[in-house]
Amino acid sequence: MVDLTQYLPILLFLGVAVGLSALFVFLPMGVSRLTGAHNPDAEKLSEYECGFPAFEEPRDRFDVRFYLIAILFIVFDLEAAFLFPWAVSLDLTGWPGWITMMTFLVELLIGLAYVWKKGALDWE
Amino acid sequence: MDLTYSLGLVIPELVLTLSGLVLLLVAAWGGNEASKPVSIAACVALGGAFFLTAPAVCAGASGPDTVAFFGQLRIDAWAGLAKLMIYAAAGAALVVAPAYFDRLKAMRPEFAILVLFAALGMSIMVSAADLLALYIGLELNSLAAYVLAAYLRDDDKSAEAGLKYFVLGALASGILLFGMSLLYGFTGTTSFSGINVAIADGLSGGQLFGLIFVLAGMAFKISAVPFHMWTPDVYEGAPTPVTAFFASAPKVAAIALLARLSLEAFGTQATAWQQIVGFAAIASIVVGALGAIGQQNIKRLLAFSSINNVGFILIGLATATLAGASAMMIYLAFYVAMTVGSFVALLMLKDADGNQLETFGDIKGLSTTQPALAWCLLLIMFSLAGIPPLMGFYGKLVIFRAAVEADLIALAAIGIAASVIGAFYYLKFIKVMFFDEPVDAVKGKSDWAHWALLVIATLVISPIAFLGTEWLGGLAEAAAAALATAG
Repeated sequence: MVDLTQYLPILLFLGVAVGLSALFVFLPMGVSRLTGAHNPDAEKLSEYECGFPAFEEPRDRFDVRFYLIAILFIVFDLEAAFLFPWAVSLDLTGWPGWITMMTFLVELLIGLAYVWKKGALDWE
Repeated sequence: MDLTYSLGLVIPELVLTLSGLVLLLVAAWGGNEASKPVSIAACVALGGAFFLTAPAVCAGASGPDTVAFFGQLRIDAWAGLAKLMIYAAAGAALVVAPAYFDRLKAMRPEFAILVLFAALGMSIMVSAADLLALYIGLELNSLAAYVLAAYLRDDDKSAEAGLKYFVLGALASGILLFGMSLLYGFTGTTSFSGINVAIADGLSGGQLFGLIFVLAGMAFKISAVPFHMWTPDVYEGAPTPVTAFFASAPKVAAIALLARLSLEAFGTQATAWQQIVGFAAIASIVVGALGAIGQQNIKRLLAFSSINNVGFILIGLATATLAGASAMMIYLAFYVAMTVGSFVALLMLKDADGNQLETFGDIKGLSTTQPALAWCLLLIMFSLAGIPPLMGFYGKLVIFRAAVEADLIALAAIGIAASVIGAFYYLKFIKVMFFDEPVDAVKGKSDWAHWALLVIATLVISPIAFLGTEWLGGLAEAAAAALATAG
């Protein structure tokens, strides 16, 4: 009798592969099926904005500057998140810990200097 | 191991980091005129890192002396040999890039800096001895790579390639992280050696799932079948110098990392991943060979060719022996030379206005119009097809020898059979270049740097290189032996 349990890893691996690719194919189809408008009319297709007539098209492009600001915000927000655990454990990490964090901050500063010089912070 | 000692071990990485940061500031203040000096400086930094890494490789560094940062990194001969290939491939990408981008007026100093940071991420990857260091290295490399793929942001195909690479790469990272979290949860450690000890008595369900998800994530990164779907689109869409970079350096890094992960972290449960790697190897060889047959675009064809080659390399890993690991390194060395050579040759196919040509229709009868280029391509394609006495054959030989020694005869037999299929499209190059009516489309001149790279790559895969195989074999063996001393 062949011991089939030894083939469990490969079965799982193929399962992951098939599952992922099936997801790619069927998830968008399913979502569009479930959320798509099958009986569209003018009223249904018009956008709804808090009861007002809409001011502008909802699919307007955003200015890329919003993304830049958001990305920069995330970077420095995460930096702050790293600073808190570092600050309370500084007595354990000592000088190496201090130097490491300062290196990290300098690297971020170089990045900030780069985006500043490139004009990513100028709104106009 | 104290901090100063660790810093001493990672001097090549420090060189890359510092030069990358300084060049970033130069790029910001210097503007686009600084492209050339920044590219040259980045090449010098990569060369410096290369020569700082070389002594450890030649000495076959291994053992506890190579552990840096409390077990996060291992600066041993295995990592060193992979790094040498990575730096060389990254340097080649920097050399060919200016000519390509200058014509499109898209050369910016940031290109060299991104390549530098990608190389830094890759050298962290190959040294990683801990899941956290692995992830940091992988992401540093990937984030730079996403930007590089979309480097020609006004070009639809390049933007699409960047977006596709980003979305699928992020998915792969998610899968990898999920697997890593399972491994950490079920073994209580993130270090490779710790995991190896924890799973020595058998895999629990959670550990098995962790292993599988980690392997699936890594298979995405090396574009092994069944996780290869992104490769042809990204390779075709990305600017050609970037594709040359993607097909060489990150492949080396991800494969060296996968081998270290498999042998050091999961070494005690080799049977669990051997069949997965074996399946991925066979599937990659077959899909790579069959997928390439119908391609008219040479870049797309080379993408399938790289999937095919990854399959052969994975046969070496499927043996789970040190002989297999050293065979992987030998194959990788020649793979890098062949890839760089074929992409440089592709970049040299230009019409009279300097526009890039990349379909088979354009290289008809190349042997009469550009004989030197055609003959170099002939040798590289013969080598990729694995025809003796070229070095592509030698790479396949050592891989199959390791597989036969490990009693994986079926795997080796399927591999050989599929490489016959693969030979078809490599030979198609030669048929089109040498036997079709010349169309005389390729008229553009290339500078000496392209010729130099092409000639070097051709020499590396030519029979002359047999003189160096003993030396390379010794290096690869020492590198593989460094893996065994882990833990």
